[in-house]
Amino acid sequence: MRRALVTGVLLLATLGVVQADSGGTAQTVVAGSMNDGPYSDANPIGSVPVNTNVTILTRQGGWYKVRLPTGQTGWLPMTDLRLGNPGSGGSNTPKSSGSHGFFSLFESGRSGASGTTATTGVRGLNTGDIANAKPDPAAVTELDQWMAKPAAATAFAGELKLKAEKLDYLPKVKP
Amino acid sequence: MIRRAALLLAALLALGLPTVASSIDVSNLFNSIKQAFTPATLEQEEAIGNAAAATLLGATKPIQDKAVQEYVNKVGLWVALQSDRPDLPWRFAVVDSDDIDAFAAPGGYVFITRGLLQHMHSEAELAGVLGHEITHVVLKHHLNALQRAAKLDLAGQAAQVGLASKGYNSTLDQQAFEKVSNATRNLYSKGLDKDDEFDADRAGVVLAARAGYDPYGLLAVLQTLEGVDPKSGRVQLLLATHPSPEDRIAALSAAMAAGHMDKYGNQVEGVERFEAAIKSLPPMKADVPVTKAAPVAATKP
Repeated sequence: MRRALVTGVLLLATLGVVQADSGGTAQTVVAGSMNDGPYSDANPIGSVPVNTNVTILTRQGGWYKVRLPTGQTGWLPMTDLRLGNPGSGGSNTPKSSGSHGFFSLFESGRSGASGTTATTGVRGLNTGDIANAKPDPAAVTELDQWMAKPAAATAFAGELKLKAEKLDYLPKVKP
Repeated sequence: MIRRAALLLAALLALGLPTVASSIDVSNLFNSIKQAFTPATLEQEEAIGNAAAATLLGATKPIQDKAVQEYVNKVGLWVALQSDRPDLPWRFAVVDSDDIDAFAAPGGYVFITRGLLQHMHSEAELAGVLGHEITHVVLKHHLNALQRAAKLDLAGQAAQVGLASKGYNSTLDQQAFEKVSNATRNLYSKGLDKDDEFDADRAGVVLAARAGYDPYGLLAVLQTLEGVDPKSGRVQLLLATHPSPEDRIAALSAAMAAGHMDKYGNQVEGVERFEAAIKSLPPMKADVPVTKAAPVAATKP
């Protein structure tokens, strides 16, 4: 009885962890320093090697709060990370055979590069759909009913305490 | 006599015909240039945009969810009000596709797929994507490309674009409509010039920041896209028509760092309002897991 209870508690604890981890995974693409806050002048609390698998907990501006495999949490710059699991198929991601990454679940719905829909009910939109589109002028007219008026959009922004800021466009910079 | 005629013909072949041929080329070139660079009036832009939008909505339909459509229109217009063309008749719509993409058409049309919306985590991310599309309209990227491709005679006496009397609802005559529609099918399945996309990314984050949002939303969406398996087909159109997410992330993050955009990193994320607004959407199909990779902090540290 007591064992069953302990097992139950352990199971719940495990489920809790899974739920927290469903935030997603990522890998570091550079070696970097982890901070205790989402700012460049926050305190460094440890170094993270390249290709470390981390769990993303949240984002604040240009920073992700992550948990390392050691359990330690902290903040890393967004661009230190590449989202998805190893083997998820992104062009920078090293392929590891047999990996069932979070994003690899995507693979089941389509067949081949043609993008032919294989799963019932999935609505695709590929280059072929655009190249063969038959115009639907009535659908354009339909859009008018949802248009916002400037006063309504401004009031809606106010509800979220959005304030208009003045800033210039960004010049092009070589990466 | 015959010999003289033959000589004359030889002389014509040697001198005359090439001259005639090249003068035809020059005149064609001149007409092409005239057609490409006659700026469209606002009414003409709206008419061209209307035909382009009709063609795009032939491939994918707006979702029938009034609350979601009105939400995206209010957020979109607020961002557009921060642009250099706040007075356009901006129309935003969520279109019913599981695939991930967004596109704009001249005159103020902005479409975003339900799939892309359901891969986002906050209103700041939505604002960044809409800011990118709004920029395409503001800078007339599609208008210029369509005008070049369709070779519309916008300045001619017999203008193919119906004008004035119907104002914003002006339409093209049938021949011009078909030209724009053909050009739309081609342009939107091949994509704009890559530089137009990089420019729209940089201006999109600025519009989001001007609207009071955390400007890193667009960068977060690009990272989500980078994590989507291309083999899924979900990003086939997007990847066929845009630079790679990797290149866009590199270019955008460099420009944002140089522009000290981190100053605006504490602006509004709008996670709760976003989640409440899209709650009514049907759950994504089994083969499209919700990639909630980066839920955003609900409270500021």
